[in-house]
Amino acid sequence: MTMRDDVELVVHQQIAEILPSARISGDLHLKDLGADSVDRVEILLGVLDRLGLRAPLSDFRDVPNVDALVDVLAERVS
Amino acid sequence: MTAGIEALNVYCGVAQIPVRALFEGRGLDVDRMGNLMMRNRSVGLPFEDPVTNAVNAARPVIDRLEPAEKDRVELLITSTESGLDYSKSVASYVHEYLGLPTTCRVVEVKQACYAATAAVQMAVAYVASGISPGAKALVIATDVALVDERGQYAEPATGAGAAAVLIGEDPRVLTVDLGAFGNHSYETMDSARPAPTFDIADSDRSLFAYLDCLTNCFEDYRSRVEDVDFATTFDYLAMHTPFAGMVKAAHRKLMREFAGTPPAQAEEDFTRRVLPSLTYPSMVGNLCSGSVYLALCSLIDHAPLDGGARVGLYSYGSGCSSEFFSGLVDHRSAEELAAMRVGDHLAGRCELTFEEYAGLLPANLRCLVPEQDRRVDVEAYEGILDRARAGRDLLVNTGTKDYHRTYEWLSI
Repeated sequence: MTMRDDVELVVHQQIAEILPSARISGDLHLKDLGADSVDRVEILLGVLDRLGLRAPLSDFRDVPNVDALVDVLAERVS
Repeated sequence: MTAGIEALNVYCGVAQIPVRALFEGRGLDVDRMGNLMMRNRSVGLPFEDPVTNAVNAARPVIDRLEPAEKDRVELLITSTESGLDYSKSVASYVHEYLGLPTTCRVVEVKQACYAATAAVQMAVAYVASGISPGAKALVIATDVALVDERGQYAEPATGAGAAAVLIGEDPRVLTVDLGAFGNHSYETMDSARPAPTFDIADSDRSLFAYLDCLTNCFEDYRSRVEDVDFATTFDYLAMHTPFAGMVKAAHRKLMREFAGTPPAQAEEDFTRRVLPSLTYPSMVGNLCSGSVYLALCSLIDHAPLDGGARVGLYSYGSGCSSEFFSGLVDHRSAEELAAMRVGDHLAGRCELTFEEYAGLLPANLRCLVPEQDRRVDVEAYEGILDRARAGRDLLVNTGTKDYHRTYEWLSI
């Protein structure tokens, strides 16, 4: 598995924890998966925690979809 | 030297709508009510404006002062994002209708939902400086809502009203920890009021900024104050409340970052240290820069304070500027605030149907629009007023004459 695969797994696990009934698709925004603003905060904070990263939430406000979130996080992890 | 809040009161209108009724009326997804954690929102009436809200919040505070004490109110600051004029302040009207001394400085400040805390800190510094021993300062955060269906999920969370904060040397409500504060500010366009009839907001930008600023403010606070531990230094927390669920998320974030507590284990701490501050905000909605002081009222009225307690307070205003500060409360705080009967005031508001609420919006959205001559027909709203239990005189806006706003006292 690549680093990106590892990050993707973490992102998908965290989404599933906050939104158990969501059908995750990489080309969708978290909003489209049914996440309200509080859910989005919890997903981002949980992912950062699991990856051992500290970053302002504002860094992720313009990320268009789940795949792009994985890309941005994978870049930071590496 | 001690300084802080001597008296505190809020005015949150005479009408409210249940959040569920608003969700159903707008066709919003009721599954999202859980994270919102809101029960009702205050609704202004067309004869209420930033001046009437401010005066109606502050008058019970001023009425309890002896004449000699009232004469010592040397500074009046209104904090509002609902200005009525580019030049003339809301404070100038408030000064008149509260009958404050002519020897009082009068000014208005603006920084979205943060400005009242900047004003409180400036007032505390003025009192604590000792340059005018015995002086008092009155800070009033006052706003109206300019929200309708365009606000989507922000509409059920938007409140209206005012918080009046009297600052002096005998801080019976909150003794401010002098020098214990942390700030964080930078430019961002997360929400704004570009014109007198509407707001704009980018919800993720705003919520993320609120949460980032909280972390940074606490870091700054911690750098100024020795031996601070987020989990143990503060017996209670009272925060700016855009909606109650946001404060819960904010608490979880700080517990995660500064106490190493995973979200699932933060619930007990939230219930004990934060939940008492959310009872009133969940009945009113976002009170703009008065919000953190509404949360403080809620905390004092609902938490056991017999042994004294330290409160951590957080204020955030879009744009943005923010502050984390702290102070002490005790049984005197509870006695002082009980005289204001905030719970009775909120319970006495008239419950509106969605149709009544929607019918008020066109007039409410014109509240801040300058008009040379205008008449507000207060009697047209008697049907709503008859269902409210205020039990006191309230100031009402009767219109404008040559751009000068006119007011009357009405017994409700």
